[in-house]
Amino acid sequence: MTGTKVLAMLAATALATAGCSSADPASSGPVTVTYWHGYNETGEELQTLRDVVIPAFEKAHPNIKVKQVPFPDEALRQKVLGAAAGGELPCLLRSDIVWVPELAKLGVLEPLDAKLKDFDALAKRTFPGPLETNKYRDKYYGLPLDTNTRVLMYTPAALKAAGLEKAPETFEDVRAAAAKLKGSPVKAFADGGTDGWNLLPWIWSAGGNLLNPELTKASGHLDSPASVAAVQLLVDLRNEGQLPDIMLGGTGGTPTDEGIAKGEYLSTLDGPWTFPIYEKQFPGVTVATSKMPAGPGGSVSVVGGEDIVMTKSCPDKEAGGEFIRYLLSDEAQLEMAKVGQMPVLADLGARLTSIKPYYGIFVEQLKTARPRPPVPQYKKIESLLSQHVSEALKGTVSPKQALTDAARAIDAVLAQD
Amino acid sequence: MSVLASEATARPAPVPVRGSGPRGPRLSTRLRAARVPYLFLLPGFAVFVLVMAYPMAQAFRISLHEWNILPGAESTFVGIANYLRALEDPVFWKALVNTGVYMLATVPAQLALGMLVALLLNRAIKGRTWFRALYYLPVVTSWVVVSLLFRYLFVTDAGLVNYVLVDILHVTDTRIAWLQNRWTAMVAICALGIWKGVGWSMIIFLAALQNVPKELTEAAELDGASPTRRFFSVVLPMLRAAVAFVTIMLVIGGFNAFTSIYLMTGGGPGNDTQVLLTYMYEQAFDFLDFGYGSSIAYILTLIVFALSVVQFRVFRYSEED
Repeated sequence: MTGTKVLAMLAATALATAGCSSADPASSGPVTVTYWHGYNETGEELQTLRDVVIPAFEKAHPNIKVKQVPFPDEALRQKVLGAAAGGELPCLLRSDIVWVPELAKLGVLEPLDAKLKDFDALAKRTFPGPLETNKYRDKYYGLPLDTNTRVLMYTPAALKAAGLEKAPETFEDVRAAAAKLKGSPVKAFADGGTDGWNLLPWIWSAGGNLLNPELTKASGHLDSPASVAAVQLLVDLRNEGQLPDIMLGGTGGTPTDEGIAKGEYLSTLDGPWTFPIYEKQFPGVTVATSKMPAGPGGSVSVVGGEDIVMTKSCPDKEAGGEFIRYLLSDEAQLEMAKVGQMPVLADLGARLTSIKPYYGIFVEQLKTARPRPPVPQYKKIESLLSQHVSEALKGTVSPKQALTDAARAIDAVLAQD
Repeated sequence: MSVLASEATARPAPVPVRGSGPRGPRLSTRLRAARVPYLFLLPGFAVFVLVMAYPMAQAFRISLHEWNILPGAESTFVGIANYLRALEDPVFWKALVNTGVYMLATVPAQLALGMLVALLLNRAIKGRTWFRALYYLPVVTSWVVVSLLFRYLFVTDAGLVNYVLVDILHVTDTRIAWLQNRWTAMVAICALGIWKGVGWSMIIFLAALQNVPKELTEAAELDGASPTRRFFSVVLPMLRAAVAFVTIMLVIGGFNAFTSIYLMTGGGPGNDTQVLLTYMYEQAFDFLDFGYGSSIAYILTLIVFALSVVQFRVFRYSEED
C-alpha cells in the first residue's frame, strides 16, 4: 500500500515537473506582453498609458505584465519593418491604419478574427470606417484602437477680416471665399501636401474615388469627371493665388497651424491633435471648426488613427488578446480620450463631448468619413497620386491628364500584386 | 619570426623540388616568408569580406529579385527587370540629372575655393592656425545638424537668407520659396555641400603645398614670373597628385550625397530634388521594393566606378604628358 502511494506520489511529481518544463519558463511567474507604440515620450498619452491604463490592467490580470516600448512616431514604421525582417517583432503593435495591409501581406500578423473568439462582438462596437482599415483579403488582422478625421479649421478673426459670415460649407462657398480674398495676402485654403490624406477628402466629396470597390484598379475612378472636378477646384484656387506653395509638399513654407494662427491662411483641414498645439504655441488664438466643405458627393473626410495588431511571433497570444480586450474597453478608451486620443467605440459618442467639447465635430464627421484604400501598396500609390497632382497644380498638365496618368501608373502597381 | 626560422632549420633535408635543384630550400623559406604579410592582412580582409564584399554580393542578388524581406520567405527571380525598369522610370532620370547637377556644382567650387583658402593660409599671416581650424570646422560637424540648420536658413518667411536678401540688401522684394522649387532648392543643397566640403580640400592642398620646394617659386620669381603665372606654371603642376586625389574623392562624394537632401527637402516637392541615393532609399525602405532599390544602388556604383576609372586615366595621362 505504501509502496503504491510512494509510486503515485513520484508519478505525480514527475507529471508536475514535466508540465512545468514543457511550458514556457516564464509560466512560473507572470507572462509578459510587449507592446510597441509611437506615443510621444513626453506626451500626456504615454503618461496615461503607463500610469493609468497598464496598471489597471495588471491589477485585474495579476498573471500578465505589459511592457510598453515607445518609439518616435516617424521611426516606428522602419523599426517595425526591421524587426519583421529580423524576426524580432513584439506581441502587440499600435500600427498606423495604413500599415496594416502591408504588414498583413508580409505575413507577420495574426488574423484577429480567427484568434479572438469574441472578435465579432468587439468589432461591432467600433466605427465601420476605422474597422475596414484592418481588412486584408477577407480577413481582419487588427481592431481599431483610436481614430480621428480631418475637419475644416479656421479662426473667427480671419473669417471676419475676410468679410465672410460663415466658414465655407460647400465647394461653391470655397470658390466664393477665394474670389473675395483675391488680391489680399490671405490664402483661402492651405494644406501641407498632395498625399491621399490631403486630396481624398476633396475627391470623395466631389463624388469621385481613388480605386474601384474591389481595390484592383484606379482607371475609371481616379480619372472620372467627379475626381477631375475636385482637382480642378484646387488648381483654380492655386491659379488665383489662393493656395500656398506648401500644398506642393515642399519644406520651408509657413506650416498650416502657424498660418491659421497668424491669419495668413483662412482655412485648412486638420485633426483633433492640433488643439493642444494651438494652445501651447499660439495661446490666445481661438480656432473654430466646421465640417469638410461638401461637394456633389457630400461632406466626406478621411479616417486617420491607429489599429492594434498582434504579431505571429507573439509568445502568449491569450495574454495579448486579453490586453487588446482591455484597450477596447469603455474604461481604457475613456481614459485615453481625456488626453486627446479619440475613442473608436461608436456608442461612446455622447459621453465624449463632456470630456472634450471639440470631439463633437469629429464624431459628426466620422459618420461619413472613409479610410484610405486598405491595400499593401498604398504608400507607392499615394506617391504616384501626389506626384501627378503636383504637376497639375504647377500647371504643367491639365487635371484630367494628371489623373489619367496617375490612374494608369496606379493600375500597373496594383496589377503587380 | 624565430618560430619560422627554427621550424626551417629543424626540418630534415628537404626533398628536392622538381626541377629546382639546389634552389629548393631557399624557395620554401621564401614561400613561407611570403606567407607572413598575408597572415597580417587576413583580419582586415576578413572584416572587408564580412561588411563589404558579402553585403555587396547579397545586394546584387537582391537586385535580380522581387525581394521579400522576411527571413526564409521566397523571392521571385526577375533577372535584369529591375535595371530595365530604372531606364524607363522618369523619376530615376530626374534623380540622375539632379545627382549630376549636384556633382558639377559642388566639385569645381570645392576645388577652387579649397585651393584659394589653402593658398591664403599657406602664407605667414597672423592667426593662421585659427583660420585653418575655423575653415576645417564645417567638415567635422554633423551632417544632420548642418542640414537642419541650412533648412532653417532657407525657410521662406522667417529664414535668414531671405531676410538678408530682402530686408538688408534689397536685392529683391519677394521672398524666394527656396526649398519649394526644384532649382532654388538645388541651390540651397549645393550651397551646403560646398560650405561643408571646402575645409577638407583645403587641408589636403595645404599639406601638398608644404612639398612645393621654395627654390622653384623663388627661381620663377627671379625670372620675373607674375604670382598668377607662378601658381599655374610652378605650384599647380607640383600639386597634381593632390588635385587628382581630391577630385576623385569629391566626385565619389558628390554621387553619394544623401543626408543633406533627405533632411532639407526629403527629395521634394514632388520628386523634384530627388537624387539617386534618396530615391534608392525611398524605393527600398518606404515602398519595401528592395529589388528595385538595390538595382538603383548598383547603377550608381557602376557610374561612380566608371567615372573614377576615367579620372585615373586622365590624371595619369596628363602626368605622363
